[in-house]
Formats: sequence, C-alpha cells, structure tokens
Amino acid sequence: MATGSGPGVSMPTNLNAVRETMDVLLEISRNLNTGLDVETLSICVRLCEQGINPEALSSVIKELRKATEA
Amino acid sequence: MARLVPSWTRLDKQQERDVRELIRRVSGLQDEADPNFQLALNFAWSNFRFHRFLDVNSHKVEKTIEGIYEKFIIHSDLSKAASWKKLTEEFLNSSLPSIKEIKTDAHYSILSLLLCLSDSPSNSNYVETPREKEVEKKDDFDWGKYLMEGEEIDLGPNVDTPNWSEDSEEEDAQQPLSREDSGIQVDRTPLEEQDQNRNLGPRVSWKDEPDGRSWLEQHVVHQYWTARPSRIPHSLHLHSNLAAVWDQHLYSSDPLYVPDDRVFVTETQVIRETLWLLSGVKKLFIFQLIDGKVTVRNNIIVTHLTHNCLRSVLEQIAAYGQVVFRLQEFIDEVMGHSSESPLPGSGSIPKKSAEAPFRTYQAFMWALYKYFISFKKELTEIEKCIINNDTTITLAIVVDKLSPRLAQLKVLHKVFSTGVAEVPPDTRNVVRASHLLNTLYKAILEYDNVGEASEQTVSLLFSLWVETVRPYLQTVDEWIVHGHLWDSAREFIIQRNKNVPVNHRDFWYATYTLYSVSEKTENEEKMNDNASASSGSDQGPSSRQHTMVSFLKPVLKQIIMAGKSMQLLKNLRCAESTACQVAARDADRKSLYTLFLESVQSRLRRGEDSTPQVLTDQQATKENLIKMQSIAERHLELDDIHDPLLAINFARLYLEQSDFHEKFSGGDICVDRSSESVTCQTFELTLRSCLYPHIDKQYLDCCGNLMQTLKKDYRLVEYLQAMRNFFLMEGGDTMYDFYTSIFDKIREKETWQNVSFLNVQLQEAVGQRYPEDSSRLSISFENVDTAKKKLPVHTLDGLTLSYKVPWPVDIVISLECQKIYNQVFLLLLQIKWAKYSLDVLLFGELANTAEKPHLKESLLSEQDTVAQFGSQKEPVGQQIHRMFLLRVKLMHFVNSLHNYIMTRILHSTGLEFQHQVEEAKDLDQLIKIHYRYLSTIHDRCLLREKVSFVKEAIMKVLNLALMFAEGWQAGLGAWQMESIEKMESDFKNCHMFLVTILNKAVCRGSFPHLESLALSLMAGMEQS
Repeated sequence: MATGSGPGVSMPTNLNAVRETMDVLLEISRNLNTGLDVETLSICVRLCEQGINPEALSSVIKELRKATEA
Repeated sequence: MARLVPSWTRLDKQQERDVRELIRRVSGLQDEADPNFQLALNFAWSNFRFHRFLDVNSHKVEKTIEGIYEKFIIHSDLSKAASWKKLTEEFLNSSLPSIKEIKTDAHYSILSLLLCLSDSPSNSNYVETPREKEVEKKDDFDWGKYLMEGEEIDLGPNVDTPNWSEDSEEEDAQQPLSREDSGIQVDRTPLEEQDQNRNLGPRVSWKDEPDGRSWLEQHVVHQYWTARPSRIPHSLHLHSNLAAVWDQHLYSSDPLYVPDDRVFVTETQVIRETLWLLSGVKKLFIFQLIDGKVTVRNNIIVTHLTHNCLRSVLEQIAAYGQVVFRLQEFIDEVMGHSSESPLPGSGSIPKKSAEAPFRTYQAFMWALYKYFISFKKELTEIEKCIINNDTTITLAIVVDKLSPRLAQLKVLHKVFSTGVAEVPPDTRNVVRASHLLNTLYKAILEYDNVGEASEQTVSLLFSLWVETVRPYLQTVDEWIVHGHLWDSAREFIIQRNKNVPVNHRDFWYATYTLYSVSEKTENEEKMNDNASASSGSDQGPSSRQHTMVSFLKPVLKQIIMAGKSMQLLKNLRCAESTACQVAARDADRKSLYTLFLESVQSRLRRGEDSTPQVLTDQQATKENLIKMQSIAERHLELDDIHDPLLAINFARLYLEQSDFHEKFSGGDICVDRSSESVTCQTFELTLRSCLYPHIDKQYLDCCGNLMQTLKKDYRLVEYLQAMRNFFLMEGGDTMYDFYTSIFDKIREKETWQNVSFLNVQLQEAVGQRYPEDSSRLSISFENVDTAKKKLPVHTLDGLTLSYKVPWPVDIVISLECQKIYNQVFLLLLQIKWAKYSLDVLLFGELANTAEKPHLKESLLSEQDTVAQFGSQKEPVGQQIHRMFLLRVKLMHFVNSLHNYIMTRILHSTGLEFQHQVEEAKDLDQLIKIHYRYLSTIHDRCLLREKVSFVKEAIMKVLNLALMFAEGWQAGLGAWQMESIEKMESDFKNCHMFLVTILNKAVCRGSFPHLESLALSLMAGMEQS
C-alpha cells in the first residue's frame, strides 16, 4: 500500500481497493437514480477529489442535461 | 484543498481534461470546435469557480443519508434500505483513488453530489421500478461476469487465451464484492437463473451437436454486425493479442479506466468492409455513413492492434470512402436524370427538364463511371483472393496494393470538387461546363509539369478529359460541319442568338454570343470582335466569371469563323437544294471527335513502330530512349532549337505509349482509362497535332467554300467592282455622262437638285453600259447646311449615291461602307466639277467679252479713242493675260489633284485590294480587308478629321477655281483688277501652304503616297 505519488496515479496494490470503492459508489449512484454512468461517475469523483464544489458540479450537470434535452 | 500540493499545472490540466470529457459525456457534443461546446465549457468553469454554495458539511450529508434510509424503511423497502445503509457505510470507510484516508471531505462531497443529482428519494416518484431495475442491473454486472467466466472455462477449449485468464484473475479479485452482493440479494436468485438459462440455452444445445456447430463456425461468417459481444477464436500468440495486452496495461495503470464495450472483428472482416466501402457500398458496420460523412465506428477492435492504431488506419480509408461516396453520389445524380440514355453525348439525347444535367456533366459522369467499373473490378479481384484464402492478405497489403488507386481517387476528388462541387448552384450551364473542362485541362497541365512523377495521374486525367470533352467537340463538329449550333442545354461557350435570322444583314455580327472571357485581355478583345455588341443584353454585365475553355482558345477564331461560314453556306445552299447530297456525303464522314481520337491513337503508336527491337525490357527501353533522343534532337535542330531536355521528353513520350493502342484497338472508340501511356509531357503538343489540324482543315474547307460561293454564285467581286465603278468613278465614261449633265445644268444656272432629273441622268448613263446595275443604283439629294452652301464648292453637298447590295453580299458591303464610299464620291465629284469648270472655259469667251467695251467706247467718242483705247487696252490685255495665267495655274493644280486621287490613290489601292480579296481565307478576313481598303482611301483622300486643314486648303482652291470659272463666263466686265489680284494671292497662299505642308509630311516620311502630289504641286509653284 504505497502512497500515491499524485492524484490519479496510485500503486497497483491500491487498485483493487479503489475499484471496489468505485463499484460501491456506482451502486449508490444507481440506488439514487442519478443517471450517471461509470465513466461520468469516475470523472465526477476525480473532480470532487480535486475540490470542485459538489453542488456546483451537480448544478452544471443538471443544466447541461436540461440544455441537451431542449 | 491544502493536501493537493503536487504540481498545480498538471492538476489543472487534468481538471481541464476532465471537465471537457464531462461535457462531452453529458451533453453529447463531440466536436470541441462547436460553439455550443465552448459555451458549455465556459458555463461549467464559471459555475465551478464562482459559485455561491457552502462547503460540504459532513453532518448534513450524514443526516441526509439517514433520512433516505428512514424513507426506505417508511416505504417498506427494507432490502433497499439495508443495501443503502451498507453501501454508504462501506463507501465512507473505503479509500478514494487519490485519497487514502476514510470519511474525508471528498467522500462527503461525492455523496453530496450524488444526493444532489438524485431524484429526491422522499418524493413519491421514487417507486419500486427503478429500484428493481437497479438491483437487476447490479446483479447482471456481478453475476453475469462471474458465471460467464465459469461457463467459458467449461465450454470452449478454443476460447481461452493466457490473457483472458489473466483477466479472470483480475475478476477473481473482484469476487468478494460479487459474493457480498449476491449475499444481499438472496431473493433475486431465481430470476438470475432464468436469465442465465436464457443466455446459455443455445450454447447448451450446440453442445449436443458439436459437429454441426463447428461446421457452421467454419463456413458462416460470424454476425459481428449485430454488436453482440462475442469472442472469436484466434491465435494464442502474444502478438495477436496486442489489444488485450494494451487493455491490460491501461487497466492496471489507471484505476478509473473502464474498458469500453468493444466489438471484436477479424482483420479479414475489416479488409472486406474496406473493399466494400471503396466499391461504393453504403450500409456497412465498421464504416458508418452519417449525414453524407463516412466515419469509423468507435468501438471496433481487432485483437492484434490497439484501438487507436486500428482507428487511425481505418480513418484514412474512411476518407477515401468519403471520396468514393461523393463521386458515386454525383454519378447517381446525373444518372438519375438520364436513365433512358445511358450513353451520354451519344448524339441524340432527348431534351429533358430544365434541371437535367447537360452533356458535359453526363460525359464526365460517364468517364468517372468507367473508372469506377475498372476500380471495382480490381477490388473484386482482391476480395476473391480473400475468399479463396490462398494468399496472405492483410489490411496493410490491401492498402498498399490500392495505393495507386487511392492516389488517383484523391486526384479525382480534387478535380471533382474544384470542377463540379464548388460551383455555386445557380451558375449557368456554360460556365459550369467550361469550368469543368478548364479544371481538367489545368490539372493535366499542372501534373504534366511535374513530369514522370505523375504520369499515371496525367494519363488518368487525360482519359477523363478526352471523355468529358466529347460533347463539346461534337457541338463544334455539328456546327462547323453542318452549320447549326445545336446546344439545347446551353453549355457551349458560343451560343446562337435566336432573334437574328440567317438571311439578315446583321447575321454575321449579331448571331452568336461568345460566353467567355479569360483572364487575359487579349481574349476580351477577341470577344469584342466576334461576339456582337447588340446581343450583349443576354450576357448581362453581372459578375463576369472568368471562364474560357482554354483548350479551344488557339482555334476559337477558326471555330467561330467556320461555324458561321458553314451556317451561312448552308443557307445559301438551301436555295439550291443540295441537301440530300450533303447528307449522303455525311454518312461516311468521320466526326471531329473520332478524328481526334484516331489522331491521338496514331500519334501515340508512331513511337512504337519506329522502335520494334526486342531485347530485354530495360535494355530496350534504354536504347530506344537514346535513339529516340537523338532522333528528336536532330528534328529539333532542324528548327534551330537545341534543348536536350525537350528531346528526352519527346523520346520518352513515344516510348511510353507502346501499350496504348493495344488497349485502344479493341474497336472501342473511346479511350480507355487504362491508357496509362498517354503521358502528356507534351499535352498541348498532342492537342496541337491531334485536334487543331482537324479544326483548321474544316475551317479552311468551309471558309474557302464560302468564299468560293460568294465569289462565284453571288458575284461578290463584281459587286465590289461596281462600287468602285460608280462611287469611285472607275467607270469613267459612265460617270462622265452622269456628272457632266449635272455640271452643265449648274453652269446654266438651272435647277438640278430635282431627284427625278438626277435619277434619270444616272439611269441613262449607267443603263447604257451596265444595264444590270442601273436598277440597283439610285441617287438622292438632301439639303444640308445652308451656311456652307454659299461657297460654290459645297453646292454639290447632299448628293448621295446608293447601291442596293443584295444579301449575302451586304455582309461585306454594308451601309456603313456605303457611307464612306459616298464621302469619297462627293470629294471626287467636287474635284471633277472644278476640273470640268476650268476645262470648258474657252479663250474666245474672254476675248469676246474683252472687245465689247472697246466697241462701245469707240462709238461714244472717236477722238478720244486712241488715247483712251491705248490707256484701256493695256490693262485689259494685261487682265486677260493674267486671267489666262491664273486659269492655267488653277488647272495645273486641279489636274494634279485629280491625277493624284484617281491614279495614285484609287487605282493603286484598288489593285492591292483586288489581290487581297482573292487571297482572303474567310469572310471575316474579307470584311476586314474591305474595311481596311475603305479606310485607306478615306485617309488618302484626306478625308480624315486629323488632316482636315489640308482638305480645307484644297477646298479653298477648288472654290477659287469655281469662282474663277463663273467670273470667266460672266465676262471680263464683271472683273476688277483687284479681284483678280485677290484671287491670285489667295491661290498663291493656299498653294504655298499646301506645298509646305505636303513637303513636310513627305520629308517626315509619314505619308509616302503624298509624294507625287507634293512634287507636282511644287512644279506648279516654281512656274508661278
């Protein structure tokens, strides 16, 4: 379990744990009916990790969805 | 944020990439250049940077989670509530990709994001269905994979690969999760089993008949296009599993890497689809046609290449597919309009609706079509090879094999897009047609300049051009051979103006409009010459497109001349009804296009005949090259040209065309696309020797014919002679009879302006010697400018001779010409009058009148007689003598002028003119010669504005002569010594002036013809 040298780059030993986390997160997301797919979710996770405000992020996603539907 | 210390720039970049990807995923906008995408990006960034939300509050999030849990309980979704609780807890207690700690702000912020995005769970909308679906999906995700792994191990000994087993190891690592999941979802198990059965059902049945299955697998193409993920049996070798290895690498290096759903295809499938794409099939799996654009399906992968690699190769092919598609579309477009006549330009294409593509496009389409037929043949052969499976064929081999074709496609597309596609839609046909031909022509020249490097391209373009030019040449042929410009689609650069009938005087000038202005000014001039100004309305001054069918440029004049001549000739002949003979002769005549092709063929074959040696290929080529070069050089030296490069090119030209006629001589007239040998190092030369001579020949033929007809049947020369006889008074005796009767009347001071009197005189004079002309000639008189009339010399002004010239001779002798003739006629009449007036004076008259006063006086006083007589006789005698002298001077002057004009000018110029008329090749030339002749005599008779002062001086002298003659007749009594002196001095002044002016002009050498006049006037001066 070596420390990640930077965001997004971790040692492979950590990989499985991260992947598990992501799976759990995907389940939560599905449970809440957020409509996010795996890729989008991982992007969101990265952004949140980097300190983007979740509410701002969610509002952007909602707006974009609205605009796309229109 | 404090913990995110590492390199900011990199972080920012990653963030930027992530945000772009997010927008792409959420909004579906793929193109980053799209303004909407940029808008979305800006929106996202401004929201991220300048939001007004509070930071994440972990307590609040916990509370919300708790609330949702309670909600589930209240809604008696116990299982869901349990899973919710468990999942959230598990998430908060696990580490994130870049954060090892648990329950950090990031955890809460992610949960908060999901909560924000969720459709509020407390809402009644939140019903059972999504939950069930979710759970089902979840189960699929876990169990499906898990079970499938097991099944595969059971099923296919041919399926597994070392890599896939690695994968399964990876998935083994995921097993705890799956099991846990399955542990939660105990009640769902039966459903899964059903699912599993459904999935595995067919496989199980295949298991029963392994023979049939393997047979089918071998003989039926796997339905890769149904996008059902499947494994294709392939080699276990590492190299053939590059895609999997690369995937593995990505998977292990990036924790967030999610393998896409990919469709595995084999390379053979890719090759076959490539071949199909290039042969114009539109509905394919690997290549998609979206809005007329060929793209590569994103999720295609072969096992031995990475996705990106395959994609980049396929994208190149897709670009060519796009070209094929575009050209095919054009072919279909044109074909759709003319399905009845598959052979464009075959002569009789029925006139279609206005949008029907015109013949040049049809011909171009036909050329492209022929190209594609051969191309498809090649593709089919490759496909046959694949089907036979007897040689190794890879995508790279195919692309390499097709590379010359692909290069040709590129060229074709370039030509097509500049020549056809980029033309604005409302362009006139003539512009489109000539633009297309020009584009081809320019392309040929352009590639031709490159030399050997682009021989293939040049030959391709040449064959295209030869096909495309067919309608144009046929139009030209029809016009210059049959005399009608038959161009229903209005695509030819020259068009007939409908409103001018052939048998009209204006036919020659106003019948055709040349729809072309090239970049060079010389052609604009040419256009002004040939195309009529009066028909300009049709062309309109609006935006001049600079189009001109360049290849016709050198012979355009000939074509126009020949066409017009032929049409005229046809109309002349019509009267003589020799149409059937002509038709019979036409039956075995070869069309211009055929002649052109035959010439090209023979020109290209010539080289072959001269080098029949059979040696080893290379050696022969080399030797021939050297030989040809020396021959060519010798030829060039004959023309004083020493250009070894040119000689080499000549030599090469002849060598490379050896295979041309083999392909050509199949009885097919049209040049096959495969006439690769037509290297056009000398493309223009080819045209010069193969096309232009035929046009030239036809031009000489029909223009010569027309000239003959005009001269023989329509007596053109006789009419020209008649003009000279009457207007220029070459028929001296006839005209003498005519004008003396008028002059006599004037002398007698009787009225002579009466038109009927004038006409009677004219008819009488002409009728005796030229009875056939007398009906055509008439004379009229109109009063002009009374101020001028005071001078006797202008009495004659207003006399106009007119000659009715019948069609078609009036094309040459037009009304404008007659005006010039009339000007000369009037001048001649004035000179003749002055001359006549002076000639008819008798010495006796003056002597008689001189004696009268003497007699009178002698009666009055005889005594003074001697004294008076002596004093008076002396001045009277002196007066008479001076008048005699003056008369002779005037006569000398007038006679010199008369001689100069009648012999030096009219006669010699007339002789030159006769020679030129005999040599005139075409009507235009004849018209020009005639005009030149007229302007020459106009100039030399000093009628030009520029030399009007000379003419005025001459007029003054003529006036003097007339006044003198009048005075002479009135008798000596009317004379005062002063008036004689004044006349003498006036004459002297004019004479001096003229001599000085003329001498100056002669010395300058600008008017050599004036020399004789100057000399004779000088002689008069010395005597005086």
